Amino acid sequence: MKTLALAAAELGGEPEGRDVTLEAARAGDRAAFDLLMRRHERLVLGTAYRLAGNLEDAQDASQEVFLRLYRNLAKLDTGNLAAWLYRVTVNVCHDARRRHPETVPVDDAPELAAAGDPQQSADEAERRALLLRSLRMLSEKERAALVLRDLEGLSTAEVAGVLGSSAGTVRSQISKARLKMRGFVERYSRRRL
Amino acid sequence: MSCATWEERVALFAGGDLETAEAAAVERHLSQCAACNALAADLRLELDGLRQVHAEPLAAGHYAAVRGRVLAELAKAPRQHAAWAWAAALAVAAAGACVVWVMMKPVAVTAPELPRLVAVAPIAERPTPRERGSSRPLRGRKREGWQAKAPAPLAGGKVGQTLSSVNPQAIPVLSPAAVEDSPVRMVQLATDDPNVVIYWLFEEKGEER
Repeated sequence: MKTLALAAAELGGEPEGRDVTLEAARAGDRAAFDLLMRRHERLVLGTAYRLAGNLEDAQDASQEVFLRLYRNLAKLDTGNLAAWLYRVTVNVCHDARRRHPETVPVDDAPELAAAGDPQQSADEAERRALLLRSLRMLSEKERAALVLRDLEGLSTAEVAGVLGSSAGTVRSQISKARLKMRGFVERYSRRRL
Repeated sequence: MSCATWEERVALFAGGDLETAEAAAVERHLSQCAACNALAADLRLELDGLRQVHAEPLAAGHYAAVRGRVLAELAKAPRQHAAWAWAAALAVAAAGACVVWVMMKPVAVTAPELPRLVAVAPIAERPTPRERGSSRPLRGRKREGWQAKAPAPLAGGKVGQTLSSVNPQAIPVLSPAAVEDSPVRMVQLATDDPNVVIYWLFEEKGEER
């Protein structure tokens, strides 16, 4: 059964400056929490997928992130939920990698489009797989900086806030990460030729 | 300046991370350096490719699976809570019962042993300065204490008996010679602690014996 607050939130009738869904979730409304998860699942699972490199670990990490969200609902700053979710996602993925370093093989490109010219599809698949593998070549900090900046589109300052470092450090990590990826792709392409 | 020193800036330029002035400097360099220009183009291509891959949504089932697992975990939590609540309630009840039992239990109070009478002796009063023939004031002089006479034989009380069993009327009446007209008496009492001895000084004031 949906609460009135939840129904109003779904209809886009949330009052200015108030997150009715979050307030309802705080009050113990499971349907509201489900809606909260739906709102942020792309952010959490998408980021975790790029950081973890495989869907299984990413789903485990996302589950942990949402459970932490539930436990911390009362303390959360409403205006900064996305930043909090990014930070927790990065931390959970980091902890998971420390506990189980590279136990599951990296997914190359499970979401490949199957339609079109087989040769073109194969080339495209290879290019995507290569790019995703190049992400694995990065250190955890470099990968986190690049994923947040280049894939999630956060500003350098926002990335610095999420990772708890300075903007200068983040710029350095991002530039090194891009150059490392370029080097990996270039070496791979040379070997193929 | 060699191209190696430009690499990091070119990498930042490719992602749009440079301020206007820095970006203009890199652009000038790129217009003169084919290698850096190619690097920038490749970097842009790769970043675009990655963004494209990342932008493709995952199958809805992957998201639903996560939500389902989270909600299942949360559904377990209240049952665990209830179990804990029962355990806590039982513990509180048991503690309360213990407190009640302790409070209701009759307690045998043993009184400490009373001091034992050891000796009774007359005491000479401290002489006044006039009696000693001295006009010096007391202050600054060595104080002279009470002097106990030799212990007197106990009449009506025995050495070793407790104070409560001592009849005050039976505290020895000493012979005039022993008392030397002193109305002050000392009673020595022993306690369980050998380091603690009680001296009871009292003065008789013209009471009829």
